[in-house]
Amino acid sequence: MISTLILGIALLIIGFYAMLTRKNLIKIVIGFSIADTGTHIIIVSLGYLRGKTAPIIDGAVSMVNAVSEVVDPVPSALVLTAIVIGLAVTAVMLSFIVEMYKKNKSLSIDDYQELKW
Amino acid sequence: MVSPIYILVLSLAAGFMLSIFDKGGRRLSLTAFYGVLTFNLAVMVDWLYRLAFLHAPTLVINTAGFKAPISINLELGITEAFVLLLTNLTGLLAAVYLFKKFKESRVSSLILYLLLIMGVNGLVMTQDLFNMFVFLEILSISTFALTVLTKNSKTLSAGFKYMIAGGVASTFFLLGVVFVYYFTGSLNLGFLRAGQFTDAGMIALFMLAVSVFIELKPFPANGWALDVYQSVDSGIVSVIAVVNSAAIGFVFYKIMPLLPGNFLTVFGIAGVITFFFSNMMGLKQDNAKRLLGYSSIGQMGLLLASLVFTANSPANIRYLIIGGLFINHLISKAGLFWLAGIVKEEKIKDWTILRNNKPLLVLFGLFIFALSGLPPFAGFWAKWEFVKVLVDAKMFFVLVSVLVGSLFELIFLFRWFTNTVKEANSELEPMDPPGKGKAFSAISFGLLAVITSFGIMRFFYEFNWIQVLPILAVLVITLIDSLPSKVKGFLSLAALAGYGYYIYPLLESNLQLFFGVIFIVGSAVNLISTLNRKEQSKGFYGFLLMMIFSFGNLLIASTYLEFFLSWEFMTISSFLLILRGQKAQRASLMYMIFSTAGAYLIMAGFSFAPALTSSSALILAIENVNLPLISIIALAIGFMIKSGSLGVHIWLPEAHAEAESDVSSFISAILLKAGVFGLLMVAISYISHSPNFDVFYWIGWIGVLTALVGAFMASFQEDAKRLLAYSSMSQVGYVVAALALITHLGWVTSLYLAFNHMMFKSALFIAIAGIYYRTHTRTMYKMGGLISRMPWTFMTVLMSIIAVSGVPPLSGFGGKWLTYTAFITKGWYLQAGVLFFASGISFLYLYRLIHTIFLGQLKYEHQNIKEAPAWFIIPQYIFLGGIMAISMFPNLIIEPLNSIAMRYFSSSIQINGLTVISDLGYWNGNLVMYVTMAVFAVPFILLMLVKGRTQRVKQFNIVYAAERPESPQTTHVAHNMYAHYRKALGRLTLPRIQTFWNGVAEWAHTFGGFFRRVYTGNGQTYVLHIIMYIVVIYIVMGVR
Amino acid sequence: MIKNVAVILSVIGLVVIFLPVISGFQEREDLNELGADYVQGSINELETPNVVTSVIVTYRGLDTLGEVTVLFLATVGVGLLLKGNKEDMIKISSLELLETTSSVLVALIMILGIYIFTHGHLSPGGGFQGGVIVASGFLLLMLSNVNARISQSIMHFVESFSGVAYVAVGVAGLVLTVGFLNPGVLPFGKFGDLFSSGAIPVIYSLIGLKVGSELTSILVTMRGE
Repeated sequence: MISTLILGIALLIIGFYAMLTRKNLIKIVIGFSIADTGTHIIIVSLGYLRGKTAPIIDGAVSMVNAVSEVVDPVPSALVLTAIVIGLAVTAVMLSFIVEMYKKNKSLSIDDYQELKW
Repeated sequence: MVSPIYILVLSLAAGFMLSIFDKGGRRLSLTAFYGVLTFNLAVMVDWLYRLAFLHAPTLVINTAGFKAPISINLELGITEAFVLLLTNLTGLLAAVYLFKKFKESRVSSLILYLLLIMGVNGLVMTQDLFNMFVFLEILSISTFALTVLTKNSKTLSAGFKYMIAGGVASTFFLLGVVFVYYFTGSLNLGFLRAGQFTDAGMIALFMLAVSVFIELKPFPANGWALDVYQSVDSGIVSVIAVVNSAAIGFVFYKIMPLLPGNFLTVFGIAGVITFFFSNMMGLKQDNAKRLLGYSSIGQMGLLLASLVFTANSPANIRYLIIGGLFINHLISKAGLFWLAGIVKEEKIKDWTILRNNKPLLVLFGLFIFALSGLPPFAGFWAKWEFVKVLVDAKMFFVLVSVLVGSLFELIFLFRWFTNTVKEANSELEPMDPPGKGKAFSAISFGLLAVITSFGIMRFFYEFNWIQVLPILAVLVITLIDSLPSKVKGFLSLAALAGYGYYIYPLLESNLQLFFGVIFIVGSAVNLISTLNRKEQSKGFYGFLLMMIFSFGNLLIASTYLEFFLSWEFMTISSFLLILRGQKAQRASLMYMIFSTAGAYLIMAGFSFAPALTSSSALILAIENVNLPLISIIALAIGFMIKSGSLGVHIWLPEAHAEAESDVSSFISAILLKAGVFGLLMVAISYISHSPNFDVFYWIGWIGVLTALVGAFMASFQEDAKRLLAYSSMSQVGYVVAALALITHLGWVTSLYLAFNHMMFKSALFIAIAGIYYRTHTRTMYKMGGLISRMPWTFMTVLMSIIAVSGVPPLSGFGGKWLTYTAFITKGWYLQAGVLFFASGISFLYLYRLIHTIFLGQLKYEHQNIKEAPAWFIIPQYIFLGGIMAISMFPNLIIEPLNSIAMRYFSSSIQINGLTVISDLGYWNGNLVMYVTMAVFAVPFILLMLVKGRTQRVKQFNIVYAAERPESPQTTHVAHNMYAHYRKALGRLTLPRIQTFWNGVAEWAHTFGGFFRRVYTGNGQTYVLHIIMYIVVIYIVMGVR
Repeated sequence: MIKNVAVILSVIGLVVIFLPVISGFQEREDLNELGADYVQGSINELETPNVVTSVIVTYRGLDTLGEVTVLFLATVGVGLLLKGNKEDMIKISSLELLETTSSVLVALIMILGIYIFTHGHLSPGGGFQGGVIVASGFLLLMLSNVNARISQSIMHFVESFSGVAYVAVGVAGLVLTVGFLNPGVLPFGKFGDLFSSGAIPVIYSLIGLKVGSELTSILVTMRGE
């Protein structure tokens, strides 16, 4: 669906924008999450077939005509993996922030520049 | 035969179980951990053997029992097996390196590490794009977490930057994968074809490729990586820099066939830019690990560029280039990171403590040499072939960037090396002994470097053992290095005799034979002076033999590569010999930089040269080769750097002066002749294939000016060795100028002068070595009156300077006669005039040398010194004998030289008995000798008669007006002897060339310092860099 | 200032990159070959009603194994990072009402979670979804009752056990049938039954257990125990 595709891309760009402008570490990670979610929406949108239903063979889908009645199962499978991976990365990022805050008592990304050049 | 799927299975099972195992004690979990890593390696060894030697077909593993593209499949071909063998090996050794850490930290770190290595295996083998994404994430997350294996605020912030950068890159990768699926309906690389991507589908490929490219840390979107390299534990960093990069680089390699040509070109150029700028910025870096970071990033850029630009090369060459660069990066980078962990010093200047541990110091040198792309290590061969590919493809921008970038890299690496070996450091703290695991890993990689080098030389190039001899010499001498120095010296002489006996029949022409005499016989005589060494002199004879054998190998080299290999061996060994000097840090570094710049020019010059058609020695085969102009210029400059021509000479005085006394004579008398030999080779091709532009006319002028400036500079030196150094420069200037005449008489002159110079400069340097040995000073005004204490040495110096100056009766006179005749015959009158003037100047410094040291009054502290030891006197008199012989009987040398030159030109001289007759006149050395003797005898007898009436004056018997100067010597005429000439020359004596090169160095550093400011340290800025990079690449590629 | 301009330029750049994607987007009408193969295969070969589950657990089983690994790595990584954060744990005692009602809810949530992962081959949902629900039950428990103790070692054990069992089922597929992770090690049963589709429900349940215990373990670590 084009509307969800646009939504996904919008979220992606909003997420990146947040990553580029927010100083707070947690907000940066939120930005990352938004971008990640945008990606997931893009994935699902690309797998959608007009007027088709979920690829589960039950009452709504006949076994014989299944192929012509369901949406593409692949992006659905991929997005699940992508979501879980996104979650894992976010969890590790947040743990980093917890520890960084404990060491330096600051959540501003500008306070973590001792390594440079 | 174990299926590599079990690598994944076993790693996962062990990974899941490790925390339970750990309940039964760390020993259990560690056993499982190392067991699995070893298993991985064993599987890959097995498969590489099968694939490479038993020609097993590429292994395809279909998961879930369905064929691709229905299911995900893994593939293990020879390339995959090769990469995985090396990465698993590095993984295992890095784990061994981290043993102590793993024993003490939580079991989590073991799990993360094990699964990281599994991720690498999966990433390399999988054929499915989305599966790649999954393995990439496994790799990334475990790496992220491992960055804080040592947890402090630096690793935390570096890790965080790494994560957000990696997060952005993987988002794009994921999008790329999904778009690929959307446009083609497939995720499997085996089923994707470049043709399936329409214009709209390019976005899919773009995202896929650019995200992988970002993960490979292109300049300038790579600040995050540098922070990680700098802060994270060395063991982990070695994995990130080597194993992770290799796996991700391999992903790029796998998707490359899908990418359109313009994408690849942009990526290739971006890789080259990364290589160039990383190395330039590395110049300003003083933190060891961050420096290695810059170098790693640069190497990855080079590797990517080579992946792209060798796409059309024959498979074996491509494998050699990419494989060579990869192995080289892997070994030396991991090795250096490990050493960084062992040394535990952040700043490069504190690495001097490594001197406390000689084996590690040697290892350090080995890795630095390998990383700099010096032979015999893999990077050398890769670079040689890569340059050839670039030249053939006419990619000159890439060529120049690669060479200049390599030079930058060499500069900072060798600055580090020479600093570590030589920097004066009063408080040399003892170094903590390295842990067994750490040392084991580092040493293993040292061995691996050696093994791969020999492998390439033996199996790829199939070199004769003689080409490897220089290296073998070092190894053999290292084995017997505990013997007394004298024994090693005699053994070296014997080895040299054996070598001479071996190559004598291989010298097909008189020209080779002539240089053989200079290189081998000259070295052998010079070697006698080293027998005086009392201390152990560890390593000295190894490198000395390496150098001499390399000289010899230059003569018999029959391909460009053999010649260049010997040339590089010669450079390395002479560098190491110079470095032995007490204060030789700066001198040796400068020597190495200039030599390498020259070597790159030579490499490029050979790459431009057409293929050889004959199998005889290069110096002969080159006759039939039509070198293009660019090749002639590159080669000529390269060789003239070695012979110390004006403009590129500034390494010369430093190196001569700071090397150990008995080494200086080798450098001046013999090493410089290697440059002449090279130049002669270029000239030989030039005779029959001269391009429109008369290169040698200008080379002639450079030679003439070198002779003049060298003579001037020599006159202003206080240091005897610097004086001789500039004198060498000046004399070789004559040789080059005469060579540039490209006439029969010119070449006879040139070779005559070269031979003469070899003899008298050896004698002079050894004489000064003897004096230094007794007086411990090289500053001439601190000496004086030594004629009474060291008469034998005085005799040598007297004879030698007569031979230099060209006054009758000694050989120099013949040289001068030949020179002027040759120049006038050619019609180079102005040049002849300048040379004439230069010979006048040379009297100044020669007089200064003998007057200041031997005449005048003996200093108090030298009242009781003895004559130089016999080991110094013997070679001096052998050379004097030689000088006398060719002075009395010039035909001994003129005749062979005549025949050498007649190979290329018709003869312009006649030899009639003892007389040489040219168009302009004749010269009879024998007659000149007798006449001069007679002229000499008259005043000599007169002086002997008046000798009794001389009055002796006490030292410093001078009345001073009101004060006694602190160092009365400085009031002596010998101090600042030619101050008035200097004044007269005024601004002309300013060291402009020195200033010029200093300026070049400063500019390079300033640029490096300027560009590295993009790395602000702010993680957010780094994300901005990445996104902007993606946008810019999108625009440059014109994806739409 | 320069940075702001750069940010704006980057965002514009991203828009420029993605605009053609939107403008050129054509909604697909029919399943492509691979998708059709999956739908057919799920019905005929794996006898699994939920095609997405077939793809996840079997056809792209290696992805899923990797995905489980990623989550596991996150657990381990978070554990390594947040080790021993006891000092700043805030304890506020909760109301009895909240405690009592939540404990009822927790049990229901757990049952729902288990239902979802055991029926992953039949209905929407599966191991990941079920595991997340189970973990959210534990989250509710932790939020409502500060004194609730959740044993990390049990969680680790479940995690390890289910992980190893998952790999073991996969290897069984390799040894007993045609390939790693092939579900044919168990009988396929009747289409649409709970005990059908070969090893798929077993694998999905193991994944559910693993995901549930891993996420819970992350929560416990983050809570600071």
